[in-house]
Amino acid sequence: MSHPTPSGDRTASDRGEPPRRVKVGVGDLAVVNDGAVLMTSGLGSCVAVALVDPETDTRGLLHAMLPSADGTVSYTPRPAKYVDSGLETLVDELASAGGSPGRLEARLVGGAEMLDLTAAVGPRNVERARESLERAGIPIVASDVGDAVGRTVRFLPGGEVAVRAADGFERTL
Amino acid sequence: MRVDVRALGACNRLAERGAERAANALGELTGSDLAVEVTGASVATGEDLAEAFAGRESIGVRVGLDGGLEGAAVLAFDAEQIDGLLSVLPGGASMGRSAVTEVGNIALGGFLDGWANYLGRAIDMTPPRYFEADGAAVLPDGALAGDGVFLFESRLDATGTDLDFSIYMLPDSGPFRDLVVGKTATAATAGAEGAGGSAGGTTTTAVPYESLSTFASLAKRGSANAADNIGMMTGLETTVDVSRLRFVPLADVPSEVGTEPHAGTVFELRGEPSGYLAILFSEESAAAIAEAMLPMEPDEPLGEMAENALCELGNVMTSGFIDGWANVLGTSISHSPPEFVHDIGSATVSPLVASLSRRQDYGFVIDAAIRTEGVQARCDVYALPDERELAAVLERLSET
Repeated sequence: MSHPTPSGDRTASDRGEPPRRVKVGVGDLAVVNDGAVLMTSGLGSCVAVALVDPETDTRGLLHAMLPSADGTVSYTPRPAKYVDSGLETLVDELASAGGSPGRLEARLVGGAEMLDLTAAVGPRNVERARESLERAGIPIVASDVGDAVGRTVRFLPGGEVAVRAADGFERTL
Repeated sequence: MRVDVRALGACNRLAERGAERAANALGELTGSDLAVEVTGASVATGEDLAEAFAGRESIGVRVGLDGGLEGAAVLAFDAEQIDGLLSVLPGGASMGRSAVTEVGNIALGGFLDGWANYLGRAIDMTPPRYFEADGAAVLPDGALAGDGVFLFESRLDATGTDLDFSIYMLPDSGPFRDLVVGKTATAATAGAEGAGGSAGGTTTTAVPYESLSTFASLAKRGSANAADNIGMMTGLETTVDVSRLRFVPLADVPSEVGTEPHAGTVFELRGEPSGYLAILFSEESAAAIAEAMLPMEPDEPLGEMAENALCELGNVMTSGFIDGWANVLGTSISHSPPEFVHDIGSATVSPLVASLSRRQDYGFVIDAAIRTEGVQARCDVYALPDERELAAVLERLSET
């Protein structure tokens, strides 16, 4: 799930190479500490939580589908499927990769109301992400959530998040 | 003979792990980051496979299996992708055949290790044999003659370079089917053990193998009905390219749909089974088919007029799709009014997947590509039925 490299390595940008790109799928998460770009595409009602420790540039990205594992029937434990369990796992993995949980900052993207058929999923995901982050004492420094638009996310070295919406609108958080 | 769809899920997980090992091995060989995009298990008849592989040239390796798993396994690359693969392998094109053989050997070895662990028995593998094959000749001997094989398909995607390809795994049908069945029986007595704890045996999801085949043919019939309805509505000639019933991790469905913009309609299905159905066109196809249906050229390619036309088309396609099921399954299935969608494809299906994911991790996906002649238009139909309800209906089907 994560792809950390041992700290002390020279990063790709130090060597003048384009940074490594790591894709994060639906219901998945990844952590990097080598200057790689974390990417996730096609965020609809799902929510992406991007966490960075700005001091070490240890970054992690979660792409969660549902708010909480409570009340669901599932036989395969897959923490990153849910906002609450995914966030816990992400913080643990960031700590193992050299990030300090006390220094983490969050950026929140997605949670769109894509379909009338399933309208409640997106807002519930965002609500749960806000609650879980508050409980963990992690401040949300920027967010781009809601509306009825799909988004693609690139989590850049340094902690900025580039968001491209399906209508072509781009912004950096 | 019964197959627990959850045991099939465990098999799928093994195939996924095998593909991950293959991706890691290829990543190390080529120096690029490879990710497994999608792994699915499909239940297909020989006839369906022959159709699906028609016109495709494959290059790969085959091995014979003995011990824990018998038969043959094949790993195939699309011939069109082979130059891309060779260009990133050590030795490049000059290594050709031996590089492919080595890659295939590593990937198949990884795949089978997972199976051997799961089965608790060693699997012997004959040395890999390189082949180049047209169409369905890629498949192991006997696959086309039987009433069905399990096909594992994984798509690998390189993030750094332009290199995408698929790996097909075709364990010999009969013995493999018995294994899934045998393992199901074991899982049922042993509780929720097995690969990653995901093979928990419950009677609610065990279905007779024969009705799984029946449902696969229903998928095909549904697509044909939908295509006929497009034809009647638009006067355009339509054909169904590929229609298969696949068993995939739900989380993989959005990436399979892809990140290109799509337009189309989404429906909620009510009845037995309930679920969702999405009919998705590329923007160009959506605009072309809408224009063909409208009496005059619309002001905007995908404006309100086109939206109404696509909703109407979606309605008749969906009716065609589910009528066939309801007849054969002996149940009543209705659908919601169409909801028009126009966004990134994967973002459109993610709420449907999220909704089903509350109760299941894997899903049956019926995908069909329907093509219209004369007007350049093509759409993909994704039917996502509730796993338990489908299993219950299939169970009843076998009793009648």
